[in-house]
Amino acid sequence: MSSPLILLPGDEVPSEYLPSTNSAPLRLGAGLRLLTQPSSNPSKPPSHVIAATQPGILSTDNRKNAASILSTPNRRYIPTPNDLVIAQIHHSSPDYFHCMVTPQAPHALLGQLSFEGATKKTRPMLKQGDLVYARVLSMGLGAGAEVELTCVNPATGRAEPGGLGPLTGGMVFDVSIGMAARLMRASSSSPEQQEAVAGLVVLEELGKKLEKTGGFEIAIGRNGKVWVDCANGGETAVKSTVAIGRCLSTIDEHDLNPTDQRKLVTRILREMKIES
Amino acid sequence: MVGPTATLTPLSRADGSASYRCPSTGSNILGSVNAPVELPARRDALRPEDATVEVFVKPGTAPGGVGERYIENVIKNMLAKLILGREKGYARRGVVITLATIGGESVGRGDSYLTLLPALIHTALLALLSAAVPLSMTFSATVLAVNASGEITREPSEKEAAAATSLHALAFSSKGHLLLNESQGAFDFDTWEKVHARALAICHGTLTRTSDGDVAMAEDVDGQPLEGTVRETVEDKLHQDYAWKTDAP
Repeated sequence: MSSPLILLPGDEVPSEYLPSTNSAPLRLGAGLRLLTQPSSNPSKPPSHVIAATQPGILSTDNRKNAASILSTPNRRYIPTPNDLVIAQIHHSSPDYFHCMVTPQAPHALLGQLSFEGATKKTRPMLKQGDLVYARVLSMGLGAGAEVELTCVNPATGRAEPGGLGPLTGGMVFDVSIGMAARLMRASSSSPEQQEAVAGLVVLEELGKKLEKTGGFEIAIGRNGKVWVDCANGGETAVKSTVAIGRCLSTIDEHDLNPTDQRKLVTRILREMKIES
Repeated sequence: MVGPTATLTPLSRADGSASYRCPSTGSNILGSVNAPVELPARRDALRPEDATVEVFVKPGTAPGGVGERYIENVIKNMLAKLILGREKGYARRGVVITLATIGGESVGRGDSYLTLLPALIHTALLALLSAAVPLSMTFSATVLAVNASGEITREPSEKEAAAATSLHALAFSSKGHLLLNESQGAFDFDTWEKVHARALAICHGTLTRTSDGDVAMAEDVDGQPLEGTVRETVEDKLHQDYAWKTDAP
């Protein structure tokens, strides 16, 4: 990727930047829309242009034949089906848990029985303030539509992908939407590739340094939340959790490059007096 | 002529924010955008498929009054045309824009907001871009003062505005449409035509291809077109945010 194409709302995407057309139709992602320009000559078919609706860098995927806009990383999260989010229970009703995904947005619904192995007799009793790692099932249509979450794959009845369900212990840190997406890409690739894929070495570095103190568990929500737990940490558990959170939020705030990320991890662990 | 300067996302808690400083009018505006948010009460019943745009203008020192309510309405009507309120996640939600005067000369109670209007709508635009609110296009705006001898001054200071016979605030979309035309004072059509040509040159620069030399010269005097300033600010911020992606070896 030599020179990225930056678009502002209303800009048309030059056709040479789009994936070369093969038989599959082009898939437009967030921030792009198809506009039809009626031609002045009625016998000619109307022409189509693809225009941006958000400012950002054009990102194309030749394999999936898709194009989308990578927009500013600080925006508000808008739920999209199949996103993994960390939601907080606000209150519960006979059929649903009402969860907060982003502040100042209507509550999302999580079925009382949409957990792995949940039946009417045995279901998780979640209280106000509890956390769940859930998948966005649907956005809903029509007026008054509510976002629905699930912790189970309805087809198989299992928690897929793994780890969905209530999050116990640990602590949640807020990061920007862009950072959450980067962390997700980094954690889904192998440790050696993390730097190339998302420019992040922090998870790998922390993993190496905290191995001796029992390691840590991390869950990343696309809504800009990161849950960290060091259940095996013994007496350093709380310190390690806070250190990981501090590393992530500092990197997010200051846009640190991989070298600075390594330095930061060393510095914060030393400041917090965690042996590595 | 010193052009305006702007910063994107100076506030970390808002969904989008921008600060904007225009040296010639002396205005300094901080704006924030929160979108999409749930509206208090059911204010959305009239247009259930669209987003509701709300604009708040806060003067520097005094509490808001009639002048602020009026200019809020002008800004709201203009921005509501550009915001794509039917995009995913925006229908029946609110787009809340707050613009605060944090420096420069504050507008007195009952005084005209026209000199501040371009700075206010530029701040609103940059904050909307920072919040990645879907927009159909971008725009740029300017204010011009015409004095008794017919001279046109770009972005007048408080004193020049007080001495002017008429003030004109104009905004042009990135495609060249006239989006906003607010004038005050006594003027005739010829004056307005001149003001329009000059404003178009200030906002777009190269777009005016008239035969007379005046407009071409004005373009040189005005320096970089405002459209370019907006674009550069956003591009710089995106380069900074995506440095991990673009600078990767």
